[in-house]
Amino acid sequence: MVMRVSESMKFNTMIDNLYKVQNSYNELMEKMASGKTLNRPSDDPLGMSRILDYRESKASIEQYRENINSSKGWLSMSESILSSANDLLVNAKEIAISQSTATASAETRSIAAVSVEQIINEMLSLTNSQYGDRYLFSGAKTSDAPFSSTESPATIGTPAAASGNTFDGTVAAGAGPYTGAVNKTYVVKIVTGGNFAAAEYQVSDDGGETWGAVRNDLDTGTITLGDGIDLTFTAGTVDVAVDDIFHVDAHVEGYYNGNGEELSVAIGKNMNFAYSIPGQSVFTDQGEGEVDMFKTLNDLKNALEANDPDSIASQMNNLDSGIQQVNKYVAQCGTRTNRLEIAETNQSDLDYKLTELISSTEDVDMAAIVTKFSMKEVVLKASYSMASSIGNLSIIDFLR
Amino acid sequence: MSGISILNIAKDALLSHQTAINLTGANVANVDTPGYSRQRPIFQSVGSVEMGTGQIQIGVEIEKIERMYDQFLEVQINEQMHGFGYDETRKEELGKIEIIFNETQGGGINELLSEFWNAWGDLSENPSGQPERVALASISQNLAYMFRSYGNDLISIQDSANVQIYDLMGQVNNYLTDIADLNEKITQMTTGRGDTNDLRDKRSELMKGLAEIIDYQYIEDASGSVNIFLSNGTSIVEGGKTWQLNVKANPTNSFYYDIVLADDPNEESINNVINSGQMAGFLEIRDTTAANYLNRLNNLVASIVSEVNTQHGLGYDLDQNLGGDFFDPTMIEAKNMCVSANILSDINKIAASETVNGDGGNAINLGALKDTNVTIAGETATFNSHYSSLMARIGQDVADGSRKYDHSSSFMDQLVNKKENISGVSVDEEMINLMKYQMGYNSAAKLCSVADELIDTLLSLV
Repeated sequence: MVMRVSESMKFNTMIDNLYKVQNSYNELMEKMASGKTLNRPSDDPLGMSRILDYRESKASIEQYRENINSSKGWLSMSESILSSANDLLVNAKEIAISQSTATASAETRSIAAVSVEQIINEMLSLTNSQYGDRYLFSGAKTSDAPFSSTESPATIGTPAAASGNTFDGTVAAGAGPYTGAVNKTYVVKIVTGGNFAAAEYQVSDDGGETWGAVRNDLDTGTITLGDGIDLTFTAGTVDVAVDDIFHVDAHVEGYYNGNGEELSVAIGKNMNFAYSIPGQSVFTDQGEGEVDMFKTLNDLKNALEANDPDSIASQMNNLDSGIQQVNKYVAQCGTRTNRLEIAETNQSDLDYKLTELISSTEDVDMAAIVTKFSMKEVVLKASYSMASSIGNLSIIDFLR
Repeated sequence: MSGISILNIAKDALLSHQTAINLTGANVANVDTPGYSRQRPIFQSVGSVEMGTGQIQIGVEIEKIERMYDQFLEVQINEQMHGFGYDETRKEELGKIEIIFNETQGGGINELLSEFWNAWGDLSENPSGQPERVALASISQNLAYMFRSYGNDLISIQDSANVQIYDLMGQVNNYLTDIADLNEKITQMTTGRGDTNDLRDKRSELMKGLAEIIDYQYIEDASGSVNIFLSNGTSIVEGGKTWQLNVKANPTNSFYYDIVLADDPNEESINNVINSGQMAGFLEIRDTTAANYLNRLNNLVASIVSEVNTQHGLGYDLDQNLGGDFFDPTMIEAKNMCVSANILSDINKIAASETVNGDGGNAINLGALKDTNVTIAGETATFNSHYSSLMARIGQDVADGSRKYDHSSSFMDQLVNKKENISGVSVDEEMINLMKYQMGYNSAAKLCSVADELIDTLLSLV
């Protein structure tokens, strides 16, 4: 049977098809204008989620590269300071050599003592250098100047209560003396609040990163932290409460105020990189260090002043090992910088690959799309010209 | 056989063709009337007279006016209409949701999450730096704001679907009343001569409208009225009687409506009986699709808040206190996520250090959370992956939704064309019919004048 074609059928079919052509025309136009095949998640749901993951990785890489660059800055500054420190030590050694011989006199030695004094001052200002507003060589205590000009005995600092503590009594440290081998920050954390008899606490000797066993011997008010440090709590009006924090710094005898920790940043996924070199290892005889530079230099100065050639000669060995000690870390700055450079190359390779992946997922193939677009244009024009003539043909025109 | 009877025959023929021409006129006039079924006169000869050689038919009449209409096609269109209404609604609503989540040009939650982790990285380089702390606080606020705005946008999609459900309920009730009215009129007027054609067309149109909103079954009984049932067999129209719909508060969310039958004393929800049509579409969006997206977004927020707060609590702030909550732990939904007021009022409370000495260790650990796998609702992935998989899910749903809509709308088009094929008015056809009826009319008129002459001839003999 022949299909009847009613008037509304003609128009509906026309309009439907026109819409379809216009829609695909618009889609192509959008892709051309935006340069992207992916203009909304439904265009390619999986591609969209991949792109989000790629973008996230790219953002991390950016952060890693930033971290790498600032670490490189820190290391190159450390390296040049360590080289200068090395020069100063070589200088001091030359003085020691020349002044330990019989040709030197009390006069030359006292002049040399002034030179050594200057070397000490220069050394002090070098080792107290800052990168931005952070001290390069004070370990993790970057806001404290790492070296002081005078030697101080082993000390236990004044215990401090954190500002957010509820406890309002006082804390005092015992007389000591501090018997630890390196500078440490002891932290006491209350884990069960209440009066002294009920309270429980933990002690950390690394600034609060790791904790010892829970203890409950606060009832007398005095607790033993170790290394000769005692803390005495005096009750106030409010009992200790959970997460109250008390900390106390302890220094060994010498010139160093920093600690032995290294600072790190993330330079890759799950990859932390220690970029700082603590002054403790380079310039002191604590921890990994073997020679205390300031002590050696001061001893040399004193020997020069005292006009004591034997004692001057005896500092030469110390200066020798000191030069080696500093040199070791100059070299380490170099190796660390190398590692950063390798990491940076890796990250920028990855960045390039990700950029390519993102582009291949979301960018338009212009040649293909322009061709398609001109094809659709022809179809759209044909549809319009058909639409304009749809009403023209009717039997009415032929009826007389 | 007399000359007078020829006049009678001519008169019948004139009248019948006049009617046929009127019908053609009506068809042409209604060429654009939606739901109009073209009508066709059924001619029939009447009376016969015994002539010497046999019987001959004399005269014509229009036996009935036929409404060109395919009942089965009508059933099919109604059924398709349910699916069409459902798919159309879902496509529209999913399209709105997609706009919320469109991050193809960047700038959404994904980007802010990355910025958030990176801000911790910046802080780890300079843990006591005020600019880094300010930047972190403001990025965190932006992130929380973005989650809140996505959450609230999703909720407003649900709210507007809820309002639509209420409106549609009113429309359904109007349709039911109108259909029942027409049922009554049709049963009263059924004479078999086509007087109810117009009413039936109207009723079909109403039923099509109803079919777009809810799915139903129907049967036409002998009296000509249709009885309409919900998918579970509950009657909503029987002859002139209707059972209206009503709403009651949803037991889990009192702002949301459940559909009930108005005269049901137990007020039992019939949401699950409405399986198709626009209303089912809105119910599905409100209670399943948008609710599901919102749920996943909420889970993500809860997980971010708890992981960040836990890690933050392990570090120390600039005043040597243990880190407090970074995000407000009581606000763990997308719609209300916010940075803790303590942090905002004092950025020194950001716990960047692993020790009381002010290193950046805890900031590194917090930044590293971006690569940590967390399990949310049984799926283990990083935060960003959880988010991008939600995005993929939404994109897929939108793509599926519009594919289904395209399918059911082209199916619908074909059915409508098929119906037009039978019921639609073709002007060309009507014009040809017009010529045909005009010819019949002219011939009948000629018959009149011939009969007249015949009678004149007879009379002149007298």
